[in-house]
Amino acid sequence: MICEHCQERQATVTVTQVVNGQKSEKHYCEICAQNFHPFNLDFHKEEQIPIHQLVSNLFGLPVWNSGTQEKAQPVIQKSAQCPTCGFTFRRFLNEGKFGCAQCYETFGKQLPQVLTKIQAGTSHVGKAPGKPQRPDETIRKEIAAAREKLQKAIVEERFEDAATLRDEIRDMERKLEGGGVDTP
Amino acid sequence: MNLEYFLKSKAPGWMDDKGIDADIVLSTRVRLARNLEGSRFPLSFTEQEAQQVNDMITKAAISLNNEELNFSNFTISEMPALQRQVLVEKHLISPLLAKKEKSASVLISNDETVSLMVNEEDHLRIQCLLPGLQISEAYSKAEKLDSQLEKQLPYAFNEQFGYLTSCPTNVGTGLRASVMMHLPALTMSKQIKVVTQMLARLGMVVRGIYGEGSENLGNIYQISNQMTLGKSEEEILQDLQEVTIQIIKNERGAREALLKNSRIVLEDRFNRSLGTLKYARILTTEEAAACLSNVRLGVDMGIIQGVPLHILNECMILLQPGFVQQYAGTTLQANERDIYRAKLLREKLNLKNQKLMEKGEERHDV
Repeated sequence: MICEHCQERQATVTVTQVVNGQKSEKHYCEICAQNFHPFNLDFHKEEQIPIHQLVSNLFGLPVWNSGTQEKAQPVIQKSAQCPTCGFTFRRFLNEGKFGCAQCYETFGKQLPQVLTKIQAGTSHVGKAPGKPQRPDETIRKEIAAAREKLQKAIVEERFEDAATLRDEIRDMERKLEGGGVDTP
Repeated sequence: MNLEYFLKSKAPGWMDDKGIDADIVLSTRVRLARNLEGSRFPLSFTEQEAQQVNDMITKAAISLNNEELNFSNFTISEMPALQRQVLVEKHLISPLLAKKEKSASVLISNDETVSLMVNEEDHLRIQCLLPGLQISEAYSKAEKLDSQLEKQLPYAFNEQFGYLTSCPTNVGTGLRASVMMHLPALTMSKQIKVVTQMLARLGMVVRGIYGEGSENLGNIYQISNQMTLGKSEEEILQDLQEVTIQIIKNERGAREALLKNSRIVLEDRFNRSLGTLKYARILTTEEAAACLSNVRLGVDMGIIQGVPLHILNECMILLQPGFVQQYAGTTLQANERDIYRAKLLREKLNLKNQKLMEKGEERHDV
């Protein structure tokens, strides 16, 4: 079979994509396949997708089963390794799970971008140990909602909206730190 | 309580037929994921840490025992495989916990509505199962227990990310709430696909009850929230409640339409299914589940009389491989299981048959 994209080389990679339950298969050559970089793609689909791979796909990092295309990967914080359990961010992406509670601090910076894809927000609202109800709960909720909108605005390249939202969030955070009183 | 108490061939406490909207919503489940500070997650901890976590949680839970809530403690590694499977099929432990060897244990309340799984994917999973649609009741039961345990256990919690869990799909509230629904009319009228897509857009997941890949078995679906972070417990529960009520409405609508358009076809199908369950000599899980679903719908619609819901609930649990083998008293090959399954279901439904016959004869006399 000939590659569907370049119509030149032999197709060796089968790309299976499921959109709204509709399955479609595309056949590409190794070179064209490398140029595509969307997530939710799984090359060399042979059996059911293992969960860690699904997680990896969700997080926007394609998993290469053939193991030869490693160089195309963006460098993700090689240095960061959790001091408590030894997990790296790469290992987290592979397993889809953390090794210990410390990981949430170790990878705290990269985490929000992962969480926005699988969760309703990136900050916790709700029950906390020892504190059944927090007075600043509503502000926190508003901040979380605004952060979500901000994320959306950035993705949709509405940068003016994003700037406004960013200022709003900053104001609200100031309120929170000031114990609910707006300090100029 | 000894383990035999929890293994007996009876529908578990959460499968009572007296719940609210119990004809469509079979049960409600709430689970909270928690971890202890200072110990690594089960994915990477040592045997020693595992033991320590197990001891701490077990001690804390047992100390809460009172008349209302009394826990019995079982170590997973001490259980034979078949017994583990029976507990999984009763939804008292998860399939993952059943596979654990490293200091994993379970504490089950005597009424089987609460179970605490220790060292599953997280250090602690608090699970509460209630019959019918009782989302807020199930949550408040789990939450109460959680608040009592938190006084004795140092939960891993972080201001930004909430309750820290091994998998980021549980972080935040650690709350997963689910309802188990019998949706035969939506399935028959092919509307279930639309419902599933709608649910996905609302951040809900649909699964079958008999584990992964059993989506269609017995027309039973488990619907649960996907998001645990960025939404408060109340919002999560509220959303699920609203979605569930909407689906109940749709299912009832679809049932009415079916009954209006093809009553005789339904009557034929339901009675054939009842006949199969009563007289078949070989029954696969799939066929048994499909027949039970039909009979259940027949009972709900008033077409089949004299088969109580609790018997059908019981049969739905009993048809699973673990229970069939326990009934046989030995491990069986798949084809042998089908024979025992047919026998088991025949016995269950014939109990009633005798009573029915007596009643029928009386009517004849009058």
